[in-house]
Amino acid sequence: MTLAFALAAGVLAGSGAYLALKRDLLRVVAGIVLIANAANLTLMASGGTRGESPILPVEGEISDPLVQAMTLTALVIGFAVIALLLSLVYRVYTGYDTLDLDELSKEEARHAREIDQQARDDDDVAEAEGR
Amino acid sequence: MSSVVTRVVARMLLAPILVVAIAILVKGFADVGDGFSAGVVAALGILLQYVTLGREEVERTLPVRLLPHAAFVALLGALAVALVPLSRGDPILTHSPPAGAEVTTVGKLELMTAVAFDAAVFVLVLGAVVGIVHAVARAYEEMEAT
Amino acid sequence: MRTWAPPATVLAMAGAGFVALLWLWLTGGGEVDVPWAPTLDLRLHLRLDGLAAMYALMATGVAVPVFVFAWRYLPHHLAQQGRSVREQPRFYALLGMFMVSMVGLALAQDLILLFLFWDLTAVASYLLIAYDRQDGGARRAALMALLVTAITAVALLIGTLLLYDRYATFSLPELFRVAESSTTVTVAGALIALAALAKSAQVPFHFWLGRAMVAPTPVSAYLHSAAMVAAGVLLIGRVYPLLELSPVLLDALVVAGFASMLVGGVLALSRDDLKQVLAYSTFSQYGYVVFLYGLGGESGVGAAAFYVVTHAVAKCALFLTAGAVTRATGAQRLSELGGLARAMPVVAAGSLACAATVASLPLTVGFFADELLFKAALERGWVFAAMALLIAVLTLAYMARFWTGLFLGAPRTEAGPVPGAMVAPVGVLGAICLVAGLVPAPFAAIAQDAATPSLLAAVPVEARYYLDLRAENLLALATFALGALVHAGHRAVPAAAEAVARLGERLGPERAYTAGLAALNGLSDRVHDLEVRDFRGRVTAIFLPSGVLFALAFVLTPTVGAYAVGSFSLGDLPLVLMLGFAACVAVAATRPRGHLTMVLTLGTVGFALAVVYALLGAPNVALVAVLVETIVALLFIGVLSLIPREVLRSQMRATRERRGTRFRDPAVGLVAGATVFVLVWGGLSRTGGEGDAARRLTELAPEAHADNVVTAILADLRALDTLGEITVVAVALLGVTKLLRRGRLW
Repeated sequence: MTLAFALAAGVLAGSGAYLALKRDLLRVVAGIVLIANAANLTLMASGGTRGESPILPVEGEISDPLVQAMTLTALVIGFAVIALLLSLVYRVYTGYDTLDLDELSKEEARHAREIDQQARDDDDVAEAEGR
Repeated sequence: MSSVVTRVVARMLLAPILVVAIAILVKGFADVGDGFSAGVVAALGILLQYVTLGREEVERTLPVRLLPHAAFVALLGALAVALVPLSRGDPILTHSPPAGAEVTTVGKLELMTAVAFDAAVFVLVLGAVVGIVHAVARAYEEMEAT
Repeated sequence: MRTWAPPATVLAMAGAGFVALLWLWLTGGGEVDVPWAPTLDLRLHLRLDGLAAMYALMATGVAVPVFVFAWRYLPHHLAQQGRSVREQPRFYALLGMFMVSMVGLALAQDLILLFLFWDLTAVASYLLIAYDRQDGGARRAALMALLVTAITAVALLIGTLLLYDRYATFSLPELFRVAESSTTVTVAGALIALAALAKSAQVPFHFWLGRAMVAPTPVSAYLHSAAMVAAGVLLIGRVYPLLELSPVLLDALVVAGFASMLVGGVLALSRDDLKQVLAYSTFSQYGYVVFLYGLGGESGVGAAAFYVVTHAVAKCALFLTAGAVTRATGAQRLSELGGLARAMPVVAAGSLACAATVASLPLTVGFFADELLFKAALERGWVFAAMALLIAVLTLAYMARFWTGLFLGAPRTEAGPVPGAMVAPVGVLGAICLVAGLVPAPFAAIAQDAATPSLLAAVPVEARYYLDLRAENLLALATFALGALVHAGHRAVPAAAEAVARLGERLGPERAYTAGLAALNGLSDRVHDLEVRDFRGRVTAIFLPSGVLFALAFVLTPTVGAYAVGSFSLGDLPLVLMLGFAACVAVAATRPRGHLTMVLTLGTVGFALAVVYALLGAPNVALVAVLVETIVALLFIGVLSLIPREVLRSQMRATRERRGTRFRDPAVGLVAGATVFVLVWGGLSRTGGEGDAARRLTELAPEAHADNVVTAILADLRALDTLGEITVVAVALLGVTKLLRRGRLW
């Protein structure tokens, strides 16, 4: 079983990493969702025991409740993070009218140059005023 | 906009969904479920209203605009539950009644601070999801308008 | 928001703080000493001793007239720049924070606490100097102030840690008890003094102060008189018992102080801008204080304390004068102003008293300050007395130039009306200077008290007129005569001063600062260019090194027996099938299909995992996983609906193209997947199967009145985790609602 869990987590994380390298921002978010899923699965699989659900009364072996609680917390936080990521993606879209990372990089580099130019112009003005 | 049947059915489904959500919350300590799942279930019920009736009608007929604010009140409530024990010299988040003591129950509902904490989680999650849905719906309307 | 509420609040805070501090001081001070992080030896140790009382009273007392002035100044200032009155609360909030951090700094008796407040004043001043944030000059000046004072603050921290390393305490009173003269103490003292000199804008750090003048007038007034710059000499006074252990440090202070006085005086003579003249005057005046601390001894330290109080009162009024004059005439250069005495009699009278105080004329409280200076200098020798004389002459000359230039001579500009609230503070402060000139006892008392913690012994500070020909009086007379002479030749002198200033600009430390900043900026630009060229390159840059690190870990740890296939029974078959299904769907999600397909595939992965959780005996997790998956899918679809179809379609085409990344992306995905697989496999193989923790938790659950152990953990046993979790959800809610709204974010 250990091997099965590890294989599944590996495939999930690998697919996620592949998607995270795409040019499409939405696919990047999807990749992060998959990586989060892989992490949750690992957390669940790391329970010390497997057995019945931890709701009293139980007889015999029960499934480790601690990892369940931790996975629950991780799931909820993952949800919050993905909601935030998606709205960030939307924000990027409204600001740049594109979701293409290559175009965004170009835009960002252009913007950085613009800021530099602005700062240099300001300096020149300040210099001229100082004289 | 959706057909009359879907609108009526959606309206009718709201009450049962909320009942289920409350049940999940109340039974959380005895059976499967907790504040978070209850909150999401309730929020899904309200989301259904948004999808079938449209944002404006939902927000006109139901007090959903208050829910995101309620979320922050709930966060403060959870903090209060967490911090009040400090004033008695107990560690943070010590619940009462303490371990082993008798608990007053109303049906399956046990009256104790741990349940209050879970209820705060419920309200917070409900408010957060509804707030996010509202934000998406508004952004959509703005996009349509331009 | 009512526009009067914010200024009224900070004003009330300052007033109440002043009264409370005064009352506490008069009743013998107070002390708070709470262990804050005992394991780290940090204490919240605040004590109102004499030194603390003086600076805290200054910070609150000077704040009152400054806030009154700002009340009328700020709306006009904002209107001039076309900004909304809604930016007012921010200004007052920052001023309040500045004041509080200054009071905290004065009271702190623990070096770490001191460092905290020290940086807090730097942050507050940064935000205040850059209050006119649309102005590039203001932003750069603020950054300069922050960099110079915050980088040197690190020296303070290093000094603190050196002392802690040696004496195992951060507490100042304790350090004074145990420290003895040694190299460590000298080095630590030098580092701390360095931070203090930078904060007080002493040579060679003086350039930031002149630039900082672009701040709104109330900020300059406050920053120069009672906060920020005063913090530097406060620190010297606070750690003086440590500095005193090394004579070489005191000598260095004498040199730094003298250089600052000289450079400041010359620059003040050469400047045309009102606020610049005052800025360099401040820097020169704090040079006096540093010089006096360097001279040391009872008279030196006592005189230093006396100097600080008189300067705070007078300099604050002079800055407000500059503000009022600029408000009335719109001009801010000495060459454009003159003859305002008739139009603004109260301001003229008030600022005359204050200028006379700075220039140390008799009948003002400043006279005693110079008497004390001469006395301390004479005690050390004639050379020092000559230095003091030179500086006093310079001070008199530039103060005379400032005041006569403003108020005497022919009127050059029309003076409009100025609100009473902007005039009154100048008048009141001027009156204080005059009254204290006749009755200097309160000033002497507080200075005397303030010198005590620096010398760890009571110090007499006497301020009275001696009508005889003692050396101090002779020096004062010489000052007046020479000062008048310099002022009479005022056409030639500023020209010479100007030439010196030019030279300093060309070769001075500001040059080094600018060059250093430009070099750093260039470096960061190059790194940035490298980084933004490609986001996926950036991701690869994270994946690759972490992959190498993991590989190293695998090479270094023994792997024999570290991997177990684990038990497998026929009952586990559904589980394995479900895992396989989830993995297959995850791979399918990487196919370049439409976005909706991708979202639904992702949902399928989530649901398959939910089934896995259910089979693992975790119904709670399964329920939440289903719900989360549903909500995430819906949210995804919601965001997809917000983005026009053409954009999505072009994205899909771009994904299909895969130009240049045909082999790279799959390779990275494969390596990442393989690494995670090996890592998780190794990790899971090591979990022990005893389930002791599980059993204990199960036994605890009934104690928490719960049958559902997981809920008991979430709501009770590990409820703090849940508290953190819901905080994250609340923050995400805030972020999402803010981000999805169109228009500006703030």
